[in-house]
Amino acid sequence: MIIVKTEKLEALTLEELYALADRTGLDLPPGLERPFVIEEIAEALEEDEEESEERRAFQGEALHIDEKKYSDLRIDDIGPEPSSVSEEAIVSRYNETMIRAIARDPSWAFAYWDVSDADIAAMRGDENTAGLFLRVAGIGQDEGKAASEGHQEYFDIPVNDGDLQWYINLPRSGVRFRIELCARRLGFGKFRVLARSNEVESPRQSLALPKDGFGTVSYMLLSLSGIEDLPLDDLPDGNPLCIFHTDPGDPVDRADY
Amino acid sequence: MVNGYLALVLNAHMPFVRRPEYPRFLEERWLFEAISETYLPLLRIFRSLEADGVPFHLSLSISPTLASMLSDKVLCDRYIVYLDSQLALAAAEEKRVGGDPAFGPLARMYKNLYRADKDDFVELYGRDILAAFDYYYKRGRVELMTSAATHAFLPLFRDSPEALVAQVETAIVTHRKAFGKHPAGFWLPQLGWYPGVAEVLRAYNVQYTVVTTKGAIFGDPTPERGSFAPVECPAGLLAFIRDAEAANAVLSESSGYPSDPVYRDFYRDIGFDLPADYLQEHLEGPGERIFTGFKYWAVTGRTNDKVPYDPRSAQAKAAQHAAQFLAGRSKEAEAAAKLMDRPPLMVCPFDAELFGHWWLEGPAFLEALFRLAASSSGLGLITLGDYARCYPQNQISTPEFSSWGDGGFAEVWLDGSNDWIYRHISKASERMSELAERFPDESGLRERILNQAAREVLMSMCSDWALLMRSGKSSAFGRKQIEEAISNFSRIYDMLCSNTVSTEWLTKLEKRDNLFPDINYRIFRKKR
Repeated sequence: MIIVKTEKLEALTLEELYALADRTGLDLPPGLERPFVIEEIAEALEEDEEESEERRAFQGEALHIDEKKYSDLRIDDIGPEPSSVSEEAIVSRYNETMIRAIARDPSWAFAYWDVSDADIAAMRGDENTAGLFLRVAGIGQDEGKAASEGHQEYFDIPVNDGDLQWYINLPRSGVRFRIELCARRLGFGKFRVLARSNEVESPRQSLALPKDGFGTVSYMLLSLSGIEDLPLDDLPDGNPLCIFHTDPGDPVDRADY
Repeated sequence: MVNGYLALVLNAHMPFVRRPEYPRFLEERWLFEAISETYLPLLRIFRSLEADGVPFHLSLSISPTLASMLSDKVLCDRYIVYLDSQLALAAAEEKRVGGDPAFGPLARMYKNLYRADKDDFVELYGRDILAAFDYYYKRGRVELMTSAATHAFLPLFRDSPEALVAQVETAIVTHRKAFGKHPAGFWLPQLGWYPGVAEVLRAYNVQYTVVTTKGAIFGDPTPERGSFAPVECPAGLLAFIRDAEAANAVLSESSGYPSDPVYRDFYRDIGFDLPADYLQEHLEGPGERIFTGFKYWAVTGRTNDKVPYDPRSAQAKAAQHAAQFLAGRSKEAEAAAKLMDRPPLMVCPFDAELFGHWWLEGPAFLEALFRLAASSSGLGLITLGDYARCYPQNQISTPEFSSWGDGGFAEVWLDGSNDWIYRHISKASERMSELAERFPDESGLRERILNQAAREVLMSMCSDWALLMRSGKSSAFGRKQIEEAISNFSRIYDMLCSNTVSTEWLTKLEKRDNLFPDINYRIFRKKR
């Protein structure tokens, strides 16, 4: 689609072209002739496009299929913004002390937080406050399991004053936890909890077999259902599924079930 | 005696895009293309099957935003303008390539498509596509389901119960208004399931939905019939399970049916190939190249050296693929039937727009599938509702959080490109609940503004915008949809807090974002 892009680039002023080059990550020397600037940007965008295509080739069907619904997609970063420009930008924060957590997948959770201006001022005025951190604490039944397996019941992540969100790598799937936004106090182990998140549970990636086990028939039906293609954290003792192993094909190419 | 059942489930959905303040709006074409290439062709198949006395059954979800747009006068008017423009381009193309043995017939194929679309839309259906689907609903051929109001990816809002309830209740109200019946089935956008959604759906008397194979197999307890029978959640909701092999046969990027070399190539379009001067009338503006819908080349392979599209070979291939698909499911059914106490069920959920819009031959594939299934004794087509009535007893199990997106969870709708939206949507939802509690009995202007606030919150939750941001194309458009919805909501919130309402601004906004006319802002009240 290099033709399209060049046409669009031609419509931009030299100043806009330099601004676009900057956004694209190109470090162009000042005073370049306009055709060279356009050529450089077009090449960079084409490379981006190729990378994007390669990335999409390995993405799941939600992107592949849904994206095709919207056939007249605007190419990002070039030319005028869509005609529906917001009249006013939305605020970036709501000036409240809070934290919220969302489980994204078995390995990652997303947390976002804020500290109100008043709380920030109070912390700055308190010489005993020494920075913020997140405490990710397991809750409920997982606490016992975590302790018996020798895991810590919580772990801390230091965050900078300007941070407002983080992705948090979870120790295992199927874990229930809560995240606390804490202000460290001078003195060993002292801290103050500023806000507590909602409870979150990351999805399990293991079979929840009945206590009295599963019959061979059910294993065979699971095998026919494609269980070999699923990323299991663990398999039952003796892994009876392997007995009924069928060829799952190329895993890269298969849809997400 | 059937050896197994096949349940086709299609999800027809388009995000709400309606911009009457602009003479033309590029993203409105998404709807027009879907009507032309998917919804009307599907209805033509139904008509043809019925005329030939071929029994067919499928479940079809029509999303509330799509239902709103299909019943909107402005968009229907604009669809006719779009068709006229396509017919004008078809005429120009016929003039340009009419004598060419390869491309002439293709130009005429598009002319016939758009002419048939216009005849059907205007004359046959009186501009009412919902009524056309409703006809088959009432005949028992097509079972209509609903989906979340603005196609929100529900697992990411599980801690905003009022917003979840608003998504479900608005969907039910919209469906009942459009079709006069309560929907028994609910399509989870992106098949996004989490433990707990069953309770929300059952509270609205929804009886069944569809989940991914992965979500079901990681459910608690593991389903003993695999994906070949639904499971019943403790709340009483039936969760039908997607058949992995059937999904892969169609959706695999490299070996799925639509990637066959003889099918029409989706990407190669005269909108990018021909001089801008020639296409001037059909482009959105200087330098704004777009897909025109006129595509003359076959998939061919991973090459830029495409061969001309041959519709006859492609139609034959679609019939062949339908037979192959049915044979594959029969084989699966045969293997599973030996192990089961009932005929195995294979559930095949797809986006409706796959058939026709992206995969041009998709409708022909479906028609061939229906005809073949009708003449075969081994495999019966069934709707989810009919299966639920035939087999009311199912294993109790709760599926695990899952979706059909990349990675199988929420990776597509929550990553570095779109994660910033959740802070704002969550805040808007929280504030909307606060407003609904503070003003429980409003009427007149204040009720209008509260209803508009509720619409804006729902619009901000649309999963399509997060998906576009992640796709890297039209991400600015996706971002602006959310920014506008949040900004409009915030302005209303501030107005209500300061007790000042700009009636002119509100009226303008109501006229533009006019989906869900019967919305009741009190759906955001906290449940007690």
